[in-house]
Amino acid sequence: MTVRHQPMIDEWYPVALASQLPPGGRATQLMGTPVLVVADDPIRVVTDDGRDLPVTLRYGHVWTSLGQPAKQLFDIPEADQPGRRLIEVGVVRVRCSPLRAVENFLDIAHFPFVHTDILGAEPHTEVGKYDVEIREKEDEVWATKVQFYQPQAAKSATGGITTDYMYRVPAPTSSVLYKTCPARPGEWDVITLFVQPLQEDLCDVWPWMALFDDETATTDLIHFQQMIFLQDRSILENQIPRLLPLDPGREIPTRADLTSVAYRRWLKRHQFTYGAQLVAQ
Amino acid sequence: MPVEMLRDWIPVALSADLPAATVLPAHTPSGILALWRSASGKLTALADRCPHRGMRLSYGFVRGEALSCIYHGWSYGQTGQCLRIPAHPELAPPGAIKAASYAVEERNGVIWIAFEPPEAPPPSLEGFQPVRSITVNMDAGAITPNGTVRTQLAGVDVLLIVAGIGDRETIAHVMVDAAASATDRIAVSNAVEGWRRTCEQLGLKELAS
Repeated sequence: MTVRHQPMIDEWYPVALASQLPPGGRATQLMGTPVLVVADDPIRVVTDDGRDLPVTLRYGHVWTSLGQPAKQLFDIPEADQPGRRLIEVGVVRVRCSPLRAVENFLDIAHFPFVHTDILGAEPHTEVGKYDVEIREKEDEVWATKVQFYQPQAAKSATGGITTDYMYRVPAPTSSVLYKTCPARPGEWDVITLFVQPLQEDLCDVWPWMALFDDETATTDLIHFQQMIFLQDRSILENQIPRLLPLDPGREIPTRADLTSVAYRRWLKRHQFTYGAQLVAQ
Repeated sequence: MPVEMLRDWIPVALSADLPAATVLPAHTPSGILALWRSASGKLTALADRCPHRGMRLSYGFVRGEALSCIYHGWSYGQTGQCLRIPAHPELAPPGAIKAASYAVEERNGVIWIAFEPPEAPPPSLEGFQPVRSITVNMDAGAITPNGTVRTQLAGVDVLLIVAGIGDRETIAHVMVDAAASATDRIAVSNAVEGWRRTCEQLGLKELAS
């Protein structure tokens, strides 16, 4: 791997679900490097040449890094909030750039067309004005005051509602979504997308949720999330190019894409370019 | 049929395989185009990539006189100009949002596209009627040097119009005499599977030798 990817090498990535690690471990790869998640106590992650990588267990997942992370894994305070159900959704492999998977997660305008009659429906296609910022202190991308009409916003929703959203990008291939909680108005449901970059154009996606929902069966919650993500996969595997273009001109955004524009700008600023296409290449 | 015409015009599909208000991926030697027919029957060939996020337009849907991208519903007219962005219904899409469009013509049940507008129309193929299309795992040049094959299948005179669509991949559009009966057409449709196998086996032998 070339030095130009060093900033992303020094970040944390999910490589397994801790609760579902088979006795023989999980042989996988991270940014093209084969790694083995070893089911020891404590869990270890080792490379082919026997190097022990740093390990963090958080949000149900095993996190590691090929480099030397300058910071601890980002915090999701809601993960420790009493009363929430923590849902480990599992893994979906997608033949696309890990950055494209995150960008799609940040997008609401596709709901009526890709998640038809679930997360959106015509004629309710308009995306209103919302706020986007790169928070300098946290060094995170945030989108707030996002609103969208949804026929069935969550497994626990019974009719159409206007859903409020906040999006947060705390790491180049992780995003946290806060959305209206049908069961408990005033609280936010938390849905995350943790993306493991296998290669520049191949990733394992690990959705994870922290919900206020005492009624829906876990299997149904997982099926709902998997259905949504498989609909996204049919898009993600058919975008040209597979890599995310970071320079302007190759793809044309509109006002609804302000989160994507900020995400791309933030990636470029930090040289988070593994899975990106640059004009200079 | 003059060879020159086949160089300019590429046969991509049969008319019967593209009903009104549908889109399909048209394979050409230079890649895939989004080929669609509007509700009123007008044909358009556009670059298979939405300028917004790069999604293949051939996965989209046709409503009225426009092709919409399946990702965000951005719709495009016959010139490739973006007509509507559903996220901002009041916005007139800027002129820069445009998919490249290519020459397309339909003659005698065959749809042809061209990357540069040719001076002459595509061949009329008078006296023939289309039966079906079939793909063959073989280079077009190894099947025929001039883009056509005249042969007999199931005892019926057949014209195959052939175009390469990739490495060892070819599409052949099968035509029979305009007077051929329905029974003959079915017999040819079945027999052309054998012709494909023969081609592919010959290709394998050549690879082995």
